[in-house]
Amino acid sequence: MRVAVDESSYDAVGEPHFRGLHHVVTAFFGRSNVFVFDILRRSLSASVSATVARDDRFWKEKLIPMMLGVLGSALGLVPLHCACLESDGDGLLIAGASGAGKSTLSVALAEEGFNYVSDDWTYLSQRRDRIVAHGTSAPTKLLPDAVKYFKNLQGHTLQTSMNGELVYEIDIAETFGAQVERECEPQWLIFLERMQRTGTEFTPMSPAQARSYVNRSVEMLPPQLFEAVSMQEETIASVSLLPSWLFRYGGTPQFAAKELRKFVIHRRQEVCV
Amino acid sequence: MTNEQCRRPDLLRRFVPTPYVFSKRDGTDRICIESNDLEVALGIWRSAIIERQRNQGGAFLCKLIRDKNAPVDVSQILIVSDGALRVLYLGRGTILIHDHKRSEILGFISRNVKVPELVLLLIPALLDLENARDWDRPAGFAAARHAAGIKEQR
Repeated sequence: MRVAVDESSYDAVGEPHFRGLHHVVTAFFGRSNVFVFDILRRSLSASVSATVARDDRFWKEKLIPMMLGVLGSALGLVPLHCACLESDGDGLLIAGASGAGKSTLSVALAEEGFNYVSDDWTYLSQRRDRIVAHGTSAPTKLLPDAVKYFKNLQGHTLQTSMNGELVYEIDIAETFGAQVERECEPQWLIFLERMQRTGTEFTPMSPAQARSYVNRSVEMLPPQLFEAVSMQEETIASVSLLPSWLFRYGGTPQFAAKELRKFVIHRRQEVCV
Repeated sequence: MTNEQCRRPDLLRRFVPTPYVFSKRDGTDRICIESNDLEVALGIWRSAIIERQRNQGGAFLCKLIRDKNAPVDVSQILIVSDGALRVLYLGRGTILIHDHKRSEILGFISRNVKVPELVLLLIPALLDLENARDWDRPAGFAAARHAAGIKEQR
């Protein structure tokens, strides 16, 4: 990584603008802060203002997670749009469309005693035929209505996130006292959907259904990155073989978290039997 | 690409179709211009840049996307060179990348950039023709470059 600092510029972090072609990805954060990722050569060159150069939060919470997302594909990491929680060494991946409530449920699960790995993007790698899920230093992002369920959010201010949404960006360990794990081995895959009536439904999903869903949530890679494409396909195939369920719930995230806790205990008992 | 792969998100706009393709193969030499904008593809195909590339030989790919969704902001030209890549920015909407090891030009062009500006100023500046021989530079390049006030970081 090489960074040139323009000491004459004081532009703050601006609205992000990303583009990519073949092996190159570019990112702007305002007019003076530009980043060029070369995925084939695993390098990043950047030109930033003096203000951004000294903005620790930007590097920790925005750039490092973004680097993992972009360059990770060259390092055998596959970004998957899902949350990840861990309990007694077992990882639980929670996939779902944007707005389905992955982050809210992640916080409720952390309150329920699960260890937190990630709430939005999880990076998967293969280690000796096992899948490993990795989290990043990105903050947990909660939509404005989450304040109804979590009193700890009172006093926090809403911010505009990288995708333009108005959210609470919080450090889950600081705000909720959650235990954070950097990685775990996922054992189960849950596809989250909301329903109107209060209650929960768990419906088993076949590997083909899981694969179809996972396929739609990973980003397409260009053929120039053929090794990364092949790694992505292998990882998708492995994740799709995890025991998978469609989890539909209505009610509070705390209620859903308790039901998921019971579900995990039940699954473990099944394995023991 | 399978049907399922086609349904994946393309957040970076890597897969914008480029139906306008001009290519020429001569033995192992191959020049290929691809764009989603006919005027851009044609403008480059007829430019001195291609003539220069033909004289140099080897493979050359130029893939440029007319980016209608890109922000249009007035700015000076910034060029960043690092290793194999030389990248030219004009505001946030126009990004041109020259990978000299792969002999490729890739980029996005915002809607306010006209083809003559692209061909006579931006691509020559990207290819660092300031230091090239006079006959390799398109006419008017030096004056255009001076007027644009290009800022460069190496």
